[in-house]
Amino acid sequence: MSMKRRDFLKSSAGAAAVMLALPEVAAGASAGGKPIKSPVKESYQTSWYPFTGHPDADTCWSVSAGPDGRIYAAACAESIPGGVVKVVRYNEQTDGLDYLFSLDEMVNDPGDSGRATQCKIHYSFAPSMADGILYMATHLSGPPIDQPAYSPWLSWHDPKRCFRGSALLAFDTRKDKVLWWDTLLPKEGCRCLLHDEERHRLYALSYPRDHFFIYDTKRRTRRDVGRIGSINAQTLFLDRKHRVWTTDDYGHLVRYDPDKDRLERSPFVLPHNPEFQTGWHSVFYDVAAAPDRESFYAATWIAEPRLMRIWPNEGEWPRVEDLGPATQKRDPTLPKDTFVDHCGGLVFAGDGQLYYVASRWRDALYNPMPADGPDREGVVWRLNPATLQRQEVAVLRHPTQPAQYVSRGAVDHNGNLFFGDVGTKPVGIFKVHLPSSRRKKNAHLPIRMWG
Amino acid sequence: MSEKPKTKYDMNSPEAKALIDEIVHGTFMKEGTMAAFPTCFPGATIPIPADESHITALDVSDNGMIYGGTSGRAAHLFVGIFHGVTGVVFDRGTVEGANHCAAVGCGKSRFVACVNGPGGGRVLAGGFEGLPFDLIQEWGFGRSAFQELGKVNGEPIVHAVVDASKQTMVGATSGHLFTVDIEAGKIKVVDEMPGSGRLALGSQGGIFGQDGSAHLWRYDVASGKLERKAVALPEGVWGKAPLTWAKDRHSGLLYTADADGQLFSLDEARGFSGPLARTLLAPVGPMAVTHDGRVFGFCGAEMAKMFCYNPRTRAASNLGVAVSVLERRRYGYVFGDAVTGRDGQIIFGEDDDLGHLWLYFPRIQALS
Repeated sequence: MSMKRRDFLKSSAGAAAVMLALPEVAAGASAGGKPIKSPVKESYQTSWYPFTGHPDADTCWSVSAGPDGRIYAAACAESIPGGVVKVVRYNEQTDGLDYLFSLDEMVNDPGDSGRATQCKIHYSFAPSMADGILYMATHLSGPPIDQPAYSPWLSWHDPKRCFRGSALLAFDTRKDKVLWWDTLLPKEGCRCLLHDEERHRLYALSYPRDHFFIYDTKRRTRRDVGRIGSINAQTLFLDRKHRVWTTDDYGHLVRYDPDKDRLERSPFVLPHNPEFQTGWHSVFYDVAAAPDRESFYAATWIAEPRLMRIWPNEGEWPRVEDLGPATQKRDPTLPKDTFVDHCGGLVFAGDGQLYYVASRWRDALYNPMPADGPDREGVVWRLNPATLQRQEVAVLRHPTQPAQYVSRGAVDHNGNLFFGDVGTKPVGIFKVHLPSSRRKKNAHLPIRMWG
Repeated sequence: MSEKPKTKYDMNSPEAKALIDEIVHGTFMKEGTMAAFPTCFPGATIPIPADESHITALDVSDNGMIYGGTSGRAAHLFVGIFHGVTGVVFDRGTVEGANHCAAVGCGKSRFVACVNGPGGGRVLAGGFEGLPFDLIQEWGFGRSAFQELGKVNGEPIVHAVVDASKQTMVGATSGHLFTVDIEAGKIKVVDEMPGSGRLALGSQGGIFGQDGSAHLWRYDVASGKLERKAVALPEGVWGKAPLTWAKDRHSGLLYTADADGQLFSLDEARGFSGPLARTLLAPVGPMAVTHDGRVFGFCGAEMAKMFCYNPRTRAASNLGVAVSVLERRRYGYVFGDAVTGRDGQIIFGEDDDLGHLWLYFPRIQALS
């Protein structure tokens, strides 16, 4: 049986949806042994902003605060032949989205080229605070206009079909102008991007070859440091020693230390479910830095994602705390759909608390949600770094579809949260209005330097 | 760039599903099975560091063990054992001062390796590994030092092969031909000869290597005689890609390819064949011949695709990009060497970060 990737996700999700509710068994996920509290009384209202200005958009893989503290998002079109990504920005005056540009037009690689298209920006917004630039790099998967699908492995040697390469674009948020662009990764997509502003370096992971690249923004030159594995980690993060961290296929931390100019792997396996996971595929999905930059909170990219806290400045290899599963219990004999069992959107708000979105779904045995409600949903959690207690604060409500898969989260300069939705069209972004007592001006600072 | 297509693909067209399936799944391993094995004893040891594990040299001992060498930040020598109650790649050790392994060859009682480093090329020897007791029950491995046989002449070593008697290794540096008496450990520079590409052992015992852009030289180990421009290369594109070889152990026939992916065979008595077939991509990389005469190898840079040349049909088919879903889940993109295993499986050395040994089990052909 053959299906496209997104069709697979949809149909698998559908399979989960037909399960019937049975007598209750608590979905007893816990964080570091701390019990989950019932929903808070504070009001966390949500708003929904569909990508109506780009009807082809079928995913939103990037949501980030720009250097100006405003929210930028990628309206991606990866399923449609010839689809291209448009960059949008939340306009707080109009309470709507502004469509800044169609990226293919900025980099002279139009959607009807016959090649794989500039269809998305995948965790690859990275700010530059000194000059107000927002860097962004494109990813691949969108098929050529006259093909139903695209395989970078199949078309690697085909000059007619092969993706031209990840386009790196420097957008001046002060002048609303694209200053320059370059090819960041020939033939490959950029899975995730990080900016070390002091060192004038962008770091990227390529897809499909999973190579670690360094781009010098002064010289505009790239360097391929080497291959990590077969499964892209979905994020990179930077510590105060300018070391770049990610993961390999088997759930080991991978570190690039500029002083050594070498990719190193931790001998230790990151936390994972001991019953049915081995560490394989426990790659980072999303990582958020604590405001003091001493610790980092991560979620893994595998069904039953694991939450953890990492202390990169402690020891030869970091101390890693297992914060437990992010989602509910499930049948361990069923390879759960990774589109349904998901955690993303990790972001620290102005109140010093970590927020993230974890999915919840109806499971006949483990979580019999009401039959008259949605069969799956995205739950916004708040985690207290001091106590590690987490509380459910909101549920993301899409007008027509479940919204259990959130790619990224960001906090804007007014202190509100935004989350990117990946699901069925129309996709877009959510805004979660924090209670006034929890909002803070310039809450986006210190800014996240990776997508 | 060809003319731009004008119309958007109709995703509801009846052939869409089949085409998607072909694009997504038809890309990988169209026949046979690959198993990527890490450079370790899984569950008992860690692999060779990723940036020291580009596998660039392989050979097989008479008892079916795979000896190999890596390149990268440092060079390692290892042995792979896959028959009986084994299943291990054992890192025999790091070669100090070396960052490239050009060749490994198995003699009668030990193996030799040609490595390069800042100080040029040198040769080492190591004892054969004993067959472990039972790698499901209990085990014990020791790591003994390599014997340094010395430098050749300060030049980097390009490649080397063991002769038919398994007593002598014949190699080429960037400027000279040399021999190694494997048992005695003696290195001897034979003559001036710029090394280029890989060497091969012919069907009658001669050692061959590229001699300029249009010929092969031949070295006779017994007589110690080097014959320049001994064999003319067939019409093709030569000298633009390093020469690569595969040997049919049963017929003695050698296979090679020009820079355009045109395959040829060489019989030492009869000379070169005409063009046999052309691979999907060029250049042709490592290849080896299984027991029924089929040649399996990789072609194309950066993201190689596997090919099969079948001498019965005289056709080269594209088998796609290497992928392993057994032992390790991994894509394979770049390969450095290939040998034929005891049972006709092909073992490829992955010339990439975190390189694995890739065991390819060809499809069993139906009786016709």
